[in-house]
Amino acid sequence: MSFLEKTVDAGSTALYLQRNYEIVRQLLAKGLAERGFILEPLKKAVEREWVRKLLWTALPERDVGLSGAFVYVPPGVSLRAPVSTCFVVSEGAQEVHNVLVVGEGSELVVLSTCTSAGKGSLHAGYTEIFLERGAKLDYVIVHAWAKNTDVVAETGVVVGEGASLNDVYISLRSPRSLRESTRITVRRGGSALASSLYLAGSGSSTLETIVTLEEEGASAEVDSKIVAASGSFVSNPITIEAKAPNTRGHVECRGLQLSPDSVIVTAPALRSARGGAQLTHEAAIGKISDEELAYLMTKGFSEEEAASMLVRGFLELGLKSVPEPLKPQISSILDLMAKFATG
Amino acid sequence: MSGVLLEIENVSVEVEGRLVVQGVSLAVDRGEVHVLLGPNGSGKTTLLRAIMGLPGYRVEGRLLFEGRELNGLKPHERARLGIALMHQNPRPLSVKLSHLAREISRRFGTPLDVLRDFALDSLMEREAFKGFSGGEAKKAELALTILQRPKLAMLDEPDSGVDLESLKVVGRAINRLAEGGAGVLLVTHTGAIIEYLRRVTAAHVIVRGRIVASGDAETVLEAVKRKGYEVLARGGIP
Repeated sequence: MSFLEKTVDAGSTALYLQRNYEIVRQLLAKGLAERGFILEPLKKAVEREWVRKLLWTALPERDVGLSGAFVYVPPGVSLRAPVSTCFVVSEGAQEVHNVLVVGEGSELVVLSTCTSAGKGSLHAGYTEIFLERGAKLDYVIVHAWAKNTDVVAETGVVVGEGASLNDVYISLRSPRSLRESTRITVRRGGSALASSLYLAGSGSSTLETIVTLEEEGASAEVDSKIVAASGSFVSNPITIEAKAPNTRGHVECRGLQLSPDSVIVTAPALRSARGGAQLTHEAAIGKISDEELAYLMTKGFSEEEAASMLVRGFLELGLKSVPEPLKPQISSILDLMAKFATG
Repeated sequence: MSGVLLEIENVSVEVEGRLVVQGVSLAVDRGEVHVLLGPNGSGKTTLLRAIMGLPGYRVEGRLLFEGRELNGLKPHERARLGIALMHQNPRPLSVKLSHLAREISRRFGTPLDVLRDFALDSLMEREAFKGFSGGEAKKAELALTILQRPKLAMLDEPDSGVDLESLKVVGRAINRLAEGGAGVLLVTHTGAIIEYLRRVTAAHVIVRGRIVASGDAETVLEAVKRKGYEVLARGGIP
């Protein structure tokens, strides 16, 4: 069992594991189905008309089949233990479409992992998420790819009135090529925090985030941290667009270049279509500081260990809000990323 | 274990082509506390940083630790031998103080509860040294130094920019280090820390890179107060 599969397995409320197109495991904690909680393949879920109607409303429509998971949390349910989904591609191409609906006033933590192994050459994942009024979602995505994989990952989220989204995207091994896109629409009084930690090895990656502050009182913060190792090219366009007054948005992108033959392009953009929006951005690209390295060496760490600590620190400081139940897993993932980054 | 803990023999240090320390000899043994006094820019910090092996400090002469030549060893190798440097003004690090403390405690096998005396709880989840007050930075840096369980603790101005309350905490910690058998080489610009130390083996005055006077702390401090560093540099202690 891979590290990610073990992570998924640890103490979940619900578990969905798919290898290529086969559902390997599907578990729901006792009593949840009786309370109206649904976890099932999307193919089955679309038998309900209301589910069918939701498809491709949070993302531009793609020609993708119904392989993937459907999760529904009924109104007024608060689940502290995470729901885990895991997608593994080990043979050819895998295309998945997931839909997640969090009912009014409900709270949910999701850990979604995607990985490739063996002859897995393409993963294309499309995820649509709907937060109804006052719902709260911590959505943690962890990617770990093999070098021979191409990845397309699109996530569309509609943050309903007064709802709040904490979206955390972590990629600890980058694929040959990646096109990741997150589109978040925030309605009246809703809030979104989207953080991403991306460790880029050789290959080309585009990580795009587009947030639309659709209605009055909506707010969003996008924090992106990129660590670029040898031979990597990363493009990171981030846009917050305010379409209503009394909205707030902040973009922060930081890049850490570990190698002179890496390229990071950050492109924060702010668009305000109405007066009364408050939008800000910060961007910086740098390298590991020699002074910080020297300091840590005086504390007993070799140069490699010191660099690894600084990479870990750089990444960790990009996470403003880590869901409590996933803290240990995320801490282990940060350790791994720091190790991978420095060889 | 052989020889004195730290032996410095006729050591000169060059930084960016400039001779900053010249012909310094000094020995610090286990449990001893040696104080280095001197005006700004006299070479005190340079000497400590050179002993630690930081890059950019070219050393001539002999540096021996427990009889072993230090020249050629990197800072982390010296740290693992038991040498610790409390930096004067640690720059902000992109690492949380809690993580740094945990890693040092793991590296040196020391329990984290040695930090308790320093009242650092409110700082632990912040980036180390970022936006810390003078006193907070000194306490945090001294705490990390102690976490290394050093045989030789080199403390660079633990008393500068520190309020009275923090000065007492710092003084107590240094006393415990020495009483636990560590050798202490302490740089002070003002001498403020000395009255909090239960034992000072010797004080040395360094002016323009040379040790111009050595003796018991009381006599040396009195001479500095009475005559000033420049007069001492010309004539030593009568």
